[in-house]
Amino acid sequence: MLLSIGRSLGWRLAQAGLVAILVGVLSFAMMRALPGDMIFRIAAARFGYDNVTAENAELVRSQIGDPAGISAFLGWIAGLFRGDLGTSLVTGETVLAEIAHQFGATAELAGVAILLSLLIGPPLGLWAGLHPGGWFDRATVLLASVFKATPQFLLGLVLIVVVAIGMGLLPAAGHGEARHLILPGLTLALGLAANTTRITREAVVQARDSDWWRFARWKGLSERQVVLRHGLRHVAVPVLTLIAAQFVALMEGVVVVETIFGWPGIGHALVHAVFHRDVPMVQGTALIMGLAFVLINALADIAARVLDPREAAQ
Amino acid sequence: MTLLNADLTVKGSQAAMVERIALRVAAGQSVTLIGETGSGKSLFAQAILGTLPPGLHAQGTLHIEGAPVALDDPKALASLWGHAISVLPQEPWRALDPLMRARQQVAEVHRLVAGKTNAAAAASEDLAALGLGQAAERYPFELSGGMAQRLAIAAARAGGGRIVVADEPTKGLDFARRDEVALRLRRVTDDGGALLTITHDLELAEALGGEILVLRKGQLIERGPAEQVLKTPTDPYTAELIAAEPRHWQKSPSARRGTPVLSAQGVTVERGGRQLFESLDLVLHAGEVVGLCGPSGVGKSSLGDTLLGITAPATGRVTRSDGQARMRFQKLWQDPPASFAPHPALGKGLEDLMALHGIPRDRLPPLLERLRLEKGLLARKPDAVSGGELQRLSIARALLLDPVFLFADEPTSRLDPLTQKEVIQLLTGLARDQGIALLLVSHDPDLIASATDRQIALSPMLSSK
Amino acid sequence: MMPRCLGLAILAAVLLFAFGLPLVNETDPTAQSLLNALQPPSAETPFGFDHLGRSMSARLAAALRLSLTIAFVTLVTTAAIGVALGALASWRGGWVDRALVLFADSIVALPALLIVLIAGLILPNQPLAFWAGLSATLWVEIFRLTRAAIRAQIAAPAVEAARLLGFGPIYIFRTHLWPELAPVLRATFALTFAAVVMGIAALGFVSVGVRAPTPELGLMMVELLPYWREAPWALLQPVIATMATLLALTLIAGGPKV
Repeated sequence: MLLSIGRSLGWRLAQAGLVAILVGVLSFAMMRALPGDMIFRIAAARFGYDNVTAENAELVRSQIGDPAGISAFLGWIAGLFRGDLGTSLVTGETVLAEIAHQFGATAELAGVAILLSLLIGPPLGLWAGLHPGGWFDRATVLLASVFKATPQFLLGLVLIVVVAIGMGLLPAAGHGEARHLILPGLTLALGLAANTTRITREAVVQARDSDWWRFARWKGLSERQVVLRHGLRHVAVPVLTLIAAQFVALMEGVVVVETIFGWPGIGHALVHAVFHRDVPMVQGTALIMGLAFVLINALADIAARVLDPREAAQ
Repeated sequence: MTLLNADLTVKGSQAAMVERIALRVAAGQSVTLIGETGSGKSLFAQAILGTLPPGLHAQGTLHIEGAPVALDDPKALASLWGHAISVLPQEPWRALDPLMRARQQVAEVHRLVAGKTNAAAAASEDLAALGLGQAAERYPFELSGGMAQRLAIAAARAGGGRIVVADEPTKGLDFARRDEVALRLRRVTDDGGALLTITHDLELAEALGGEILVLRKGQLIERGPAEQVLKTPTDPYTAELIAAEPRHWQKSPSARRGTPVLSAQGVTVERGGRQLFESLDLVLHAGEVVGLCGPSGVGKSSLGDTLLGITAPATGRVTRSDGQARMRFQKLWQDPPASFAPHPALGKGLEDLMALHGIPRDRLPPLLERLRLEKGLLARKPDAVSGGELQRLSIARALLLDPVFLFADEPTSRLDPLTQKEVIQLLTGLARDQGIALLLVSHDPDLIASATDRQIALSPMLSSK
Repeated sequence: MMPRCLGLAILAAVLLFAFGLPLVNETDPTAQSLLNALQPPSAETPFGFDHLGRSMSARLAAALRLSLTIAFVTLVTTAAIGVALGALASWRGGWVDRALVLFADSIVALPALLIVLIAGLILPNQPLAFWAGLSATLWVEIFRLTRAAIRAQIAAPAVEAARLLGFGPIYIFRTHLWPELAPVLRATFALTFAAVVMGIAALGFVSVGVRAPTPELGLMMVELLPYWREAPWALLQPVIATMATLLALTLIAGGPKV
C-alpha cells in the first residue's frame, strides 16, 4: 500500500515539476512579448497618469529587468523553483502576498460550489441509477446534459437576471456575507453537479449489473441493504476521482464567475492582471492553479487507494 | 419432507422456451439438470429464482417447503433468497464484493438475513470449518480461486436456506478444483439440504448422484437415477453427450513423426518481471500432436507466444526450421470471436489474406468443406456465427497459409462438449494428415490424454519471486 | 439516431445563417447609425438594431462566423495532434508512452482559458490566441481517448492474429483500430468544437476575449446586458445563437442516452 502510494506521489511530483516548467516557459514568452510602451503603462497604472516621471519609469524598468537570451530564461525558471514569483508590476507588492490575499475568497467560493454540487449530484445520480430507464432517470440525464451544454457565464447571467434583478431575492454582486455566496456558488455547482450526477448514475448502473451485486441480493440482503453496505463504497471511488479531475474546470469557472459576480478572488485578480499585462501576477496565478490541481489529485490518489485495496495492491 | 416442488413451463412471446418439467427435491436429495448451451436448463433455474430475462415468463406451480409461491411475482420469489433458497454463484471470485473483507461478507448474512446476534462469531466458525480461518481479514483479490469458492459457499449458505441452487458451479474452474466443488455440494445433501444443480459437466453430475434430467432445446429428453442415465442411457442424444466427454474419446493413432520443425533450447520466460519457468528444452516434429498442460497462470500461453516469436525469451533460443516463412507458424485463440475483426464480414478478412499472400482463391472452398463450414457463413459478421463455427473458420484461416506449426491455446474451452469433440477431432486429424506440428493447450487432462501423442507438463515455479 | 439528425439539422441552419447572410445582405456589422439605436425587429430588418444602431443580423452572423471558423481550425489542429500522439504512445509504449502521458497530465493541470489568456499576451491578435491556446490544451482529451482505444485493441487477439497472418500496420489500423476509434472520436470532436465556442464566448463575456467593435457572441451579450429591460429581444439573440450551436453539438456527440 505504501509502495503504491509512493509511486503515485512520485508521478504527481514529476507532474508538478513539469507544470512549473510549462508555466515558466509561457511566462517568459509573455515577458518577451510585452510591447515597448509597457514600462510607461505600468508606471502609469501604479502612480497615476499625472505622476509618471522619468524617475518612476526608470524605477519600474530596473524592477522588470531586461530579460533576454537563454541565461535570462534559466534564471527565470530557477527563480520559479526557489519560490521567487517576483512582484506585481501594478501594485509593487510581492506576488505571493497578493495571491495569499485573494486565495481565501476563492477557496471559500470553490468549497461552497463543491459542497453544493455534492448535495445535488450524487443523490440524483444514485436515485437515477437505481431506477434506470424510468422517468426520473430520463429527466435527470436530460437535465444533466442541458446543464453540461450551458456555458457557466450564461448560467450566471440567467441567475442574475431572474433571481437577483427579476425577483430581487439575492444580491448579484458583493462579498462578505453568506447570501453573497449563493448565486456564484450555485452557478459553479450546477455545472459540476451535471457531471457528478452522470458519473454516479453510470457507477450505480454498472454496480447493479455486476456479479457481486447479484450475489449480495442472493445472499438474502434487501436492495436497500446492498446499496448501503456494498454499493456506496463502489460508487465513491469514481465520484472522488471525478471531483479531483473537475478541479481544473472549477478553476476555469472561477475565472469567469468571479468576474461576473465581482468576487474578489484569484480568478478576478487574473483577469485584472491580464488586462494590465501584469506578467508576474499571471504567472503566479497560473502556477497556483496548476499546483493546486496536482495537489488535489494526489490527495484523491491516496483516498482512492484507501477506499479500494485493489488499487493499492497493484 | 419435500423442500422444493416445481412443475412449470417457461414461455417466450410465442413459443415455449422450456417445455413442462415437474420435479421434487426432498431433504437430503440431489437433482441435476444437464444440457448444452440453449437447452433451457438455466432458464428453469431462473424461473424458480424469479430472474428470467425480460420477455420470458414462467407458468405452473411452485412450492417451497410446502408453501405455494406465485411464479409471476418476482418480489415474492426474491424474498426467498438466502432465507429459503441459497444460490451458489458462477465464478465465485467475481461474485464476492471486491472491497469487503472475507469475514464481513459472511457475517453480514448471519446478522441481516438470519438475524443472529453473534454474527461475527458465527462467521468465524463457518470460515474455520472451511479452512479459511487465516483468511478472515483478507480481501477477495488476496484469496486463491479455491478459497474464493469456499468463501462464496459460506456466504451463500449463511442465510440458512435449505434449498441450494447451483448454476454451472464448475464453470471456468481448473480440473483439480472440480472435485472439491463436488465434495462441497455433496455436503449439502449430507446435512439435510435439497440440491438443484445445473451443469453441462457429466463428471460432476456423476459425482453428485441423485436424479438426473437431460434437456435439449427446451425439452426433457430423459430422466432417472444418475447411475442409470449415465451408464445405460436410453436416448441417443444422452449417449452422444456421454461419448463427447474427452475421457470417452477413441484415441486416434499417431501419425509418423516427421522432421523437426521447431525447437527450444534452455528457454526461460518472464512476464511482468516474474519468471514463469526456466531452461525448457523441447523439439516439435512435423505431424505430431503434443499436449501442453499445467495449472492456470503457469505460463502456457507465454510459452506459445515465445515459440511463435511474438515475445522474445528471457534466455535461451527458439529455432524455427530453415527456410520457413514466419507466416507458417500460426495460432488458434481461446475466445474465437475475439480473434476476428468485429466489423467486416468474415469472408472479407479471408479475401484480404489471400490477396496479401497471393493465395489462389480456389483453395478456400475445399478447405471450408473439409471443416464442414457453409459458404454462407462468409457473408456474416463474427457475432452472428456460433463459437464452434468461428473456431473452425480460424482453423481454415490458418490452413490457408500452409502452416508447419500450430499453437492451439485452449481452442475449445468455451465450446459445448459435442462441439469440442468435433473441433478437436478435425484439428488433430488435419495436423496428422498434413504434417503440421500441433501444440495443444488444455486444462483438461482427459482431453490431453486422448487427443495427443505426448505431453509436456509445466508446473509452477515455487522458488521464484 | 434521431437526436443526432436533429443536432446536424440545427448546426446546418446555424452554418447557413452565418455564412449565407453576407451573400444576400452586405451590411457592415460595425457600421453605426444612432438613429436606429435599439430599433426592434421589423419586417425589413427581422433582427432589429443594437444600442449603437448596428444591424443585429449582420453582427450575429459575423460573430458566429468568427466562433465557428476558430472552432473548426482548432478542431482540425487538436484532432491531428491528439490522434497522432495517441497512436504513437499506444503503438510504441515504453518511455515514449510514459513521457507523453506525463506531458498530457501536466497540460490538463492548467485551465484552458488561462492558457488562452496567456496566449493573448504573447500573440499579436485574439483569434490567433484562441486557436493557439485552445489547441495547446484541448488535444489532451483526444490523445487520451485515442491511446486508450488503441491500447485495448492492440492487446486483443484479433490484432495479434492479423500480425501473425502477415498484415501490416496500415491494414491493421484501417480494419481493427479505426472502426473502434471512430465512434469515440466523433463524440469527442463535437464536444471539443463546443468547448471552443464556449471558451470564446466566456472570455468575450468577461471582456478579456475578442476586443470591441469586432462582433463576438459573449461580447455582444455583455454589451446588450444593460439594455435588457428595453430590448430583451436584442440580448436574447446572441444567447439563443450560442445555445443553439452548443445544443446541436451536444446532440451530435450523442448527449443524453434516453
